[in-house]
Amino acid sequence: MKTQSYIQKKGLTAKDLVTIGIFTALLWLTMLIGGLPMAPNPITTFYMPLSAALLGGPVFLLLVAKVPKRGPIAIAGILIGIIWFATGMHWAMDLGYVLGGIIGDLAAGARKYRSVKLNILAFVFLSLGATGSYICYFADPVSWSSYMLQGGTAASYIETMNTTAQGWMPAVIILGTIAVSAFSGWVGSKLLKKQFEKAGITE
Amino acid sequence: MIKFKDVSFSYSGQTSGNLCHFDLTIEDGECVLFCGRSGCGKTTVTRLVNGLIPYFFPGELTGRVVVNGMDISQTPMYQIAGRVGSVFQNPRTQFFNVDTDSEIAFGIENEALPPQKLRQRVRRAAEDLRVQNLLGRNIFKLSGGEKQKIAFASVYAMNPDVYLLDEPSSNLDRSAIQDLKEHLRLIKRQGKTILIAEHRLHYLMDLADRIIYLEQGRIADIYMPAQFRQLPQEERENRGLRATDLKKVHPAVPLNTPHAPILELRDVSLFYKKQSILDGVSLSAAPGEVIGIIGHNGAGKTTFSRALCGLHRDCEGQFLWDGRPQDRKCRLKRSYMVMQDVNYELFAESVEAECSFGIRSPSPALVGATMEKLGLTPFRTRHPNTLSGGQKQRLAAAVSMICGKELLVFDEPTSGLDFDSMAQVAGLVQELAAMGKLIFIVTHDYEFVCRTCSRVLRFDGGRLCDDLAVSMETEDRLKKLFDL
Amino acid sequence: MSKGHGIRFDPRTKLLLLLLCALCAATAPSLVYEFGLVGMIALLGFFSGRRRYPLIGLAVYAVIFALTKAALSGSGTTFQTTLIAFLGLVHKVYPCGFLAGILISTTRVSEFLCAMHKIHAPKSLTIPMAVMLRYLPTIREDWGFIKDAMRLRDVSPSLKGLVAHPGMTVECLYVPLMMSASRAADELSIASVTRGIENPAPRTCLIQIRLGLADLLAAFCFAAYFIAGRFG
Repeated sequence: MKTQSYIQKKGLTAKDLVTIGIFTALLWLTMLIGGLPMAPNPITTFYMPLSAALLGGPVFLLLVAKVPKRGPIAIAGILIGIIWFATGMHWAMDLGYVLGGIIGDLAAGARKYRSVKLNILAFVFLSLGATGSYICYFADPVSWSSYMLQGGTAASYIETMNTTAQGWMPAVIILGTIAVSAFSGWVGSKLLKKQFEKAGITE
Repeated sequence: MIKFKDVSFSYSGQTSGNLCHFDLTIEDGECVLFCGRSGCGKTTVTRLVNGLIPYFFPGELTGRVVVNGMDISQTPMYQIAGRVGSVFQNPRTQFFNVDTDSEIAFGIENEALPPQKLRQRVRRAAEDLRVQNLLGRNIFKLSGGEKQKIAFASVYAMNPDVYLLDEPSSNLDRSAIQDLKEHLRLIKRQGKTILIAEHRLHYLMDLADRIIYLEQGRIADIYMPAQFRQLPQEERENRGLRATDLKKVHPAVPLNTPHAPILELRDVSLFYKKQSILDGVSLSAAPGEVIGIIGHNGAGKTTFSRALCGLHRDCEGQFLWDGRPQDRKCRLKRSYMVMQDVNYELFAESVEAECSFGIRSPSPALVGATMEKLGLTPFRTRHPNTLSGGQKQRLAAAVSMICGKELLVFDEPTSGLDFDSMAQVAGLVQELAAMGKLIFIVTHDYEFVCRTCSRVLRFDGGRLCDDLAVSMETEDRLKKLFDL
Repeated sequence: MSKGHGIRFDPRTKLLLLLLCALCAATAPSLVYEFGLVGMIALLGFFSGRRRYPLIGLAVYAVIFALTKAALSGSGTTFQTTLIAFLGLVHKVYPCGFLAGILISTTRVSEFLCAMHKIHAPKSLTIPMAVMLRYLPTIREDWGFIKDAMRLRDVSPSLKGLVAHPGMTVECLYVPLMMSASRAADELSIASVTRGIENPAPRTCLIQIRLGLADLLAAFCFAAYFIAGRFG
C-alpha cells in the first residue's frame, strides 16, 4: 500500500504553513536589510524598493520550490504587508505587498509553480509592492506635500514639483525595481540549480 | 497496548532506516528501549507509533500498527497526538512559541481545552516536573537542558497514554540527563507506556523493562536489563552499542611521543557583556595533545574554545604560540572549530568544492590526498548536505587540514552518534593528533574522553579547576570530575 | 517584554489605533495637526508605561518639524523639491512608526497571536505569522554561527570579495542560512504536528485578553481626532 504523502495532499498542510512562516521571516529580513540603509537619506529614499528587492530572490525561489502550491506567495505578501503596517510603514506600501503577493501567486500558478521564469516574475510583482508609496507621491505630488504648506504655496515650488514628477524618477523606480528583482530572482535560480536541488531540500 | 503486525516500511529515496517484517507487542505501562546502530530502524519504529509514518514521511508501508485501539494509518495525526506524546532530540528546533508558558500550553491549546483547564494543566505540569523556576521566561534565554524540559512539559500537559522519546539525551549534559531520568521515573510511576530510541544507554538501565536490539530493520535480540548488563564489552561493541555502565569504562588512550609545549595561555580572562566568564586561566599545551574540556553548561567551555580560535572579542591576557604573542587575527588563521552543528560551516555544492572553497590557489593534489586520507573520495561529487553527521565532521576536518590549521577545537562531536561512529571520530582525532595538531574537545561524553583524550580541563565557577592527565592511574580522579 | 508599569491595552485595540493613526496621517490637514497627533501618541506611550521613548520620539519630531518649516521657506530648486517630497513621506510615516514602537514593545507575542485568533484570522495566516515571530531571533543566532565559520575560513563577505568572487560570496551568505531554515522547517513542523496543530477545532489561548475601559477611551480619542481633522 503506497501511502499518501504530504505533498500529494491538496491545500496547505501544517508543514507547508510552517515552511511559509520561516521563509517569509527570511524574506522580510532581506527587505529590511536591503531597504533600511536607503530610507533615511532624502536622495536615496526613492530607490528603496530597488535595494529592498536585491537580496530576496533566492529566499523567494526556494520557498516556491519547497511549496509549489497555491497560497505561499500570496500569504507571504499578506504577512509582509501586515508586518510593515505594524511597524508603521506607509499604507500604500503595505497594500502594495499584499497585492503584489496575490498577483504574483496567480502568475506563478499559471504553470503550477514549476516554471522558474514565472516564479521570478512572481517575485518581481511582489517587489513592486514597495513602490506603492512612491506611486502615490508621483501621482499627485502637490497634494502630497500641500498640507505642509498650509495654504501658502509658492508658485515656483508647485512648478518644480510637477516637472520633477513628469521626469525620469518614477520610471527609474519602477523599471529599476523590476530589473533588480529579476536579477535577484536569476541569482536565486542559479543557487537553486547549483546547490539546493542537489542538497535535496526542494520538492 | 501497542501492536506491530508484520510491519514493513521503506522510505522513498532512502535505503537506511527501513523496517522489515516487524512484529512486536508492547503492554501498557511498559518501558521499552530500542537500540542499535544508526540506520537500524529504531527511529522508524517510533515514527510508526506517533503517526509521522505514514503522514509525514512518504514511503511504502505494509502491515498494521495499532496503538490502544487506534489503527495509526487510519487515524489523523491530531487524534494520535492526544494519546501519543513525542519528545525529540534537538531542543533548539522543537519549540513553537517564544515564552515558556505558551509553549507548555501549546499542545493542550491545540486540543481546544477551556482556558481554566489550560492554566490548571500548565501549573500541574510545572509542579510535577519541578520546572516552576522556568515559567514566564523567554525560551531563547534558556539553556539546552532547560529547553528540553519545557518540551517534555509540553507533552506532559497533554497527558498522553504513550510517551515516545527519540534520542532525548543527545544534546544534554550530565545534570540534564539526571533530570530527564527523574521525569521518566515519574511517568513510569503513573503507568504510562514509554518507548525510547537511544544510543546512550547508561541512564536507562534501571528504567527499561525490555531492551530491543535492532539490526537492519529487524529485531535481532530482546534482552532483560539484567541480561543486557552482563553483556561482555567486546560483544556489546560488536553490536555497535554504547556502554551500559560508565563506571566500567576505563581510559585507554595510546600514548603519543611527547612534544615540547607550543601553546601557552598566560592569565587569560574572558568577558561577555561586561560580565566575567573566566578568570586567570593559565596553561600550556604541546602539539599532538588531545585535551578534553569539561564542565557544566554555562561554565564557559564554549566561550573558552571560541577565544582560543580568536572568535571571542573580550579577552585579556596573553595567548602565545611558539613563544610569540598571538592577536585575534593570528589565532583565526591558525585555528579551526568543528562546531556542534557542522552544517553552519558547509558552503559548497560538492565535497570536492568544499575542500577548495575560499582558498586563494587550491592545490588539487592536496585536496585529493586529504579526501583519500579521510575516506571521503567516494563522496567527492555529493552535496555536503546529503552526507551523514559523521561524514560531515570528517569533511570539516579535511577542510581544516587543507587550510593548514594547527589548532583544532571540536565542539560536542559525539552527540547523537552510535558506538561505531563515536569510535570513528575517536580514530579521526587520533590521526589528527599523530599529525602534530593540537586538539581541544568540548564534551560531556565520558566514553569518548576515555578513548581519545590525553588530558582533561575542567571549568567551574569561572575558573579552571582541574587540569588532569588521563591515564589508568588517574582514573578515579577522572571519574570524580564526571560525577561518576 | 512589557516595560514599566502602565495600562495594558488589548492587542486588537492596538491594531485599531495603528489603523486610525495611519488614517490621521494620510488625511492630515496641516503640520500642526500632525504635531498634535505625535503628542497624543507620546501621551499614550506614557500611559503604557514607557518613560524615555515617548520623550525622545516627541523631541525628534520637533526637530523634523522645524527642519520642514525651514525647507519650505526656501527657493524652488530641484533639491528642495526632493527634500520636500522626502519630508512629506517622513511626516506620513513618523506617527505610525512612533506608535508602532510603543505598541510592539508593550505587546507579548502570545498576546498578539491570541488577538489574531480572536478576530478569527484563518489558520493559514496565524500559523505562518506565529512561526515568523518565533523564527526571527533564531536567524540572528544562526547568523552568529555562520559568521564565526566564515571568519575561520577567511571568506568573510566584503565589497572586495563580492567583486572578486561574486559566486563565492553569494554562496557564503545564502547557503548555510537556507539549509538551516529548511531543517528548522522540517523539525518545527514535526514538533507541532505531533502536538496536534492540525486539529480542526478552534484553538484556545492560555493568555486571556479582554477589552477594557482604557481601550475604549484610547480608540475614541484617536477616532475623534481623525474626524476633527477630516471635517473640522
